[in-house]
Amino acid sequence: MAVSGWFVALVALGVVPLIVLDQPVVLVAWLILVILLTTLDLVLAGTPRGLRFTRELPARVRLGESVASRLLISNAGSRRVSGIVRDAWQPSAGAVATRHPLSIPAGERRTITTTLVPFRRGERRSAHVTVRSFGPLRLAARQATIEVPGSIRVLPPFTSRKHLPSRLARLRELDGRTSVMIRGQGTEFDSLREYVRGDDVRSIDWRATARRRDPSSGAPSLVVRTWRPERDRRVVIVVDSGRTSAARIDNEPRIDTAFESALLLAALASRAGDRVDLVIYDRRVRGRVQGATGADLLASLVNTMAPVEPELLEMDWAAVPGLVRSVTSQHALVVLATSVDAPGAAEGLLAVLPQLTRRHTVIVSSVTDPSVVDATLARGDRTEVYRAAAAERALLDRERVSAAIRQLGGVVVTGTPADLPPALADAYIALKAAGQL
Amino acid sequence: MTETLAPEQTVLTPTLRKRARGLVFWAVIALFALAIALITIGLTGTSQDAVRLSPDSPAPAGARGVVQVLRSQGVTVAVTSSLAETRTAAAISGPESTTILVRDTESLLDGAQLRSLGGLSSNVILLEPGFRQLNTLAPGVAQAGSLDSDVVLSADCALPVVQRAGTVSGGGHGYRLVPASADTGSETPTSITTACLSSGDGSDGGTDTGSDSGSESGGATAGTGDVYSLVRVVTGESAVTVLGASDALTNETIVTRGNAALALGVLGERASLIWYVPSLADVAAVSPPTLAELSPDWVVPTALLVFIVAIAAAFWRGRRFGPLVIENLPVVVRASETMEGRARLYQRSSARSRALDALRVGAIGRLATACGLPRTASVEEIVQAVASISGRPLDQVRTLLLDARPTSDRELIRLSDALLELETAVAAQR
Repeated sequence: MAVSGWFVALVALGVVPLIVLDQPVVLVAWLILVILLTTLDLVLAGTPRGLRFTRELPARVRLGESVASRLLISNAGSRRVSGIVRDAWQPSAGAVATRHPLSIPAGERRTITTTLVPFRRGERRSAHVTVRSFGPLRLAARQATIEVPGSIRVLPPFTSRKHLPSRLARLRELDGRTSVMIRGQGTEFDSLREYVRGDDVRSIDWRATARRRDPSSGAPSLVVRTWRPERDRRVVIVVDSGRTSAARIDNEPRIDTAFESALLLAALASRAGDRVDLVIYDRRVRGRVQGATGADLLASLVNTMAPVEPELLEMDWAAVPGLVRSVTSQHALVVLATSVDAPGAAEGLLAVLPQLTRRHTVIVSSVTDPSVVDATLARGDRTEVYRAAAAERALLDRERVSAAIRQLGGVVVTGTPADLPPALADAYIALKAAGQL
Repeated sequence: MTETLAPEQTVLTPTLRKRARGLVFWAVIALFALAIALITIGLTGTSQDAVRLSPDSPAPAGARGVVQVLRSQGVTVAVTSSLAETRTAAAISGPESTTILVRDTESLLDGAQLRSLGGLSSNVILLEPGFRQLNTLAPGVAQAGSLDSDVVLSADCALPVVQRAGTVSGGGHGYRLVPASADTGSETPTSITTACLSSGDGSDGGTDTGSDSGSESGGATAGTGDVYSLVRVVTGESAVTVLGASDALTNETIVTRGNAALALGVLGERASLIWYVPSLADVAAVSPPTLAELSPDWVVPTALLVFIVAIAAAFWRGRRFGPLVIENLPVVVRASETMEGRARLYQRSSARSRALDALRVGAIGRLATACGLPRTASVEEIVQAVASISGRPLDQVRTLLLDARPTSDRELIRLSDALLELETAVAAQR
C-alpha cells in the first residue's frame, strides 16, 4: 500500500472545518472520514497481482549503443489498473526512464518501452517490476513487486575496428608482393597459372610447362608458379584476467584494452586465413573460444568476453604452457595480453616464457600509461620532481622487464590504450611478412 | 528478439495475510515478555515506597517497623499527607492525647500552617526539620549539619526517654542551641529547652556550651560539644521535640542499641500518633492563567492535525517504489597508483640521491639515443658524446650526469632542471 500527495492534502484540508466549527471533536471526525475514503479507494483499486508480464528484449547490444526494452503487460484482473509502473533495471543498464504511467482496462494489454543505453560491459539485469495501482479517488494505491527477470548482454565496443580496413589493405599488399617478388620462408606454393607478361621469369615452372601443351594450337604455353603468404597458422590469444588487469589507464581497465586488441587481431588473422583461439585466464579459465571460424569467430569472441571482469587474484603463469598445449600442439603465435610493469610482478611470466618460446612465437602485449611519460617531464616543484623520479623508475622497470622478455625470445608490444590494438596488428603483420608464424 | 514468458509469476511483495501472520509471531513474543515481566514484579513485590523514613515502607530506610511496634503497643498510628487530614485525625483523638510527627524535608508548609499544627496537639515532633520549621516552632534551635551513620550517642540528659535508651545510633541531623532574639524572647518568656544526645563534634570551636544557649537550659545539658540530636522545647503546656537522630527510626537500625527504646519513648508518649508527611496538596496553588487557557479551543487540535499531516507526508514520500536493484561495482584502481606511492615515499624520506639517480638513468638513456649511440655504450662514451654535441665542458657534463650530489631539495630541483635542459639542447643539436 502507498498513499499519494492527494491523501496528505486531504488530511491537511481538515484544518478548515476544525477552525470554522471550533470543536476539537471535528478532528476525530475528519480523520475517520479520511480513513473511510482511503479504505474505499483501496478497495476499488485494481489489483497489481492480476497483471501478467512478458519481456521483449534483444539478447545482446554493443556497449555505447542504445536498445529498446519492451514490457508487455496484460491485465487478467477484473478492474482497470491505473497508476505507475517501474521496470527495475540496474543503474548501469542506463535506462532513460524507469517509471512509466500505466492505465490498462480489464482484459487488455499495453506495452511499455524503456530505452536502455548501457554504460558497462557485461550482463545487465532487470530483476523485477513494481506496480502502484491507484484507486479512482487517487488517494491510496496498492503496490506489488513482481519478479520478471530480464537480462541483456552488453558486448565490448570493439572501437578499434576502425583500424581494420587499413591493416587488411596492408595484408593484401603483402599478398601481392609475395606472389611477384618473394619466395622463401613465410610463403607457400599456391597454384600454377599461365605466364603473362610482367611475371618474374624465375618463377616459371619448366616441368609443368613441359607437361602441358595447348591441345588446339600445339604451341607451348609457359606456366608459372604463384606464391602467397602462408595460411592456416594458429594464433592463440591468452588474456590475463588477474588483479593487474583491473587497474585503470585513461579510465579504461587494462582487460578492456586487451579485449580490444584481441578482437582486432582476431578479425585480421581470420581474414588472413589463420585460425584464432582465445583463452581468458587467471587461476582458472574464465572464457575460451576454440575452433570458431569466419563470421562466427567475432560473434563468439565478444560473447565470451562480455561477462568477464578482472578477478582480484594473482595470474597463475605456470599453467599457461599447458593451456596453450591444450589448444594446439603445432607451432603457433601465442599472444599474452598482460602487463609488464615491475620485475617482481613479472617473475611468473619470465619463468614460463622459455617453455613457450621453445615451441611458439610469443608476443607479450602490454598497455602503458601515458600519464607516466607525462610525469617525467613535469618538474615544476619539489613534489613534481620526486614524481618525475618515480616515473623514470617505473619506465626503467618496464624497460628491464621488456628487455628480459626479448632476451627470452619474446616480442614485446606496448602502447597506450588507443595505440595498443593497431600496434599489435602491425606486429602480427610484420611477423607474417617475415614468415615467423 | 527473445521472449521471456512467465506463466506463473512470483510476487515478491507479501500479501496482507502473510504479513499479518508475521506480525502474530511478534505479538506472541511481546505478550510473552509482558507476562514474564508481570510475574517477576508480582514475585519480587513492588517496593513502591522506597522513600526514606516512610511509615509504609518495609525497605531498610523505611520506618514501617517502628509504626507496627507502636500499634502493637496500643498506640493508634495514623498516617496523613495533608493538613486537612491531620486536622481530622487530631479532632478524633483530641489535642491532649495526640502526638504529631512532622517530616517535611521539602519545606512544603508555610509558617501559618506550621503554627496551626502547634494548635492541633500539645506534643509536636519535628523529624529532621528545616529552617522554616525550626524558626516557627522552635526558635531557639538551629541546624548544625548532618551526622555520619556510624556515630554512637549516649544518654547525657535527664529526660527519662533518653535515659532509658542508653546509647543510640546518631546518623541524621544535628542541631545547635542559639540565643533567641530579643522580640521572640519577650513573647515566650517561659520556654524550657532540653538538649540531649550531644555528638561532641563542636566543629565551630564549641568553646562554651551552657551559656551559649541563651534561654534557660534544663540543667542536664552536660554534653561536651554543642551539637545535639534531640532537643525538647517546652513552652507552657505544649512541647516541641526536634529529633535529628533519624537513623534510630529506620527498619535497618531500629533493633540495634537503644534505638527502639528511644523511638517508642519519644513517639509513644501519648495514646495516638499522627505521622504527617506533607504533600503537594498542602501547597496553595494560585497562578496566572496559562497559555492554553488564553488561546482558542482549535489551537491544540490544529497542532495535532499538523503533526498528523507531517506523518502522512512522511509515509507519502518515504514509501519505496519496490526494492533496490543490486549492482556489483567495478574495482577502480588507477595504474599509476604505484608510481604515486613511490613518489610520496621518496619525498617523505627525502631520498634525493635515489630520485636524482632515477632521473639521470632516464636522461642518459634518452641522450644515448639522441646521440646515436648503441644500447651497449658505456656512460663514459655517452658523456663524451653529449659534451661534444652540446659544446659544453666535459667536466660540467660529467658533474651533472654522474658526480653531483644534491644536499637539499632546492639543489635537486636545480639539477633536475639542468638535466632537462641538457636533453633539450642535445635534441636541438641533432
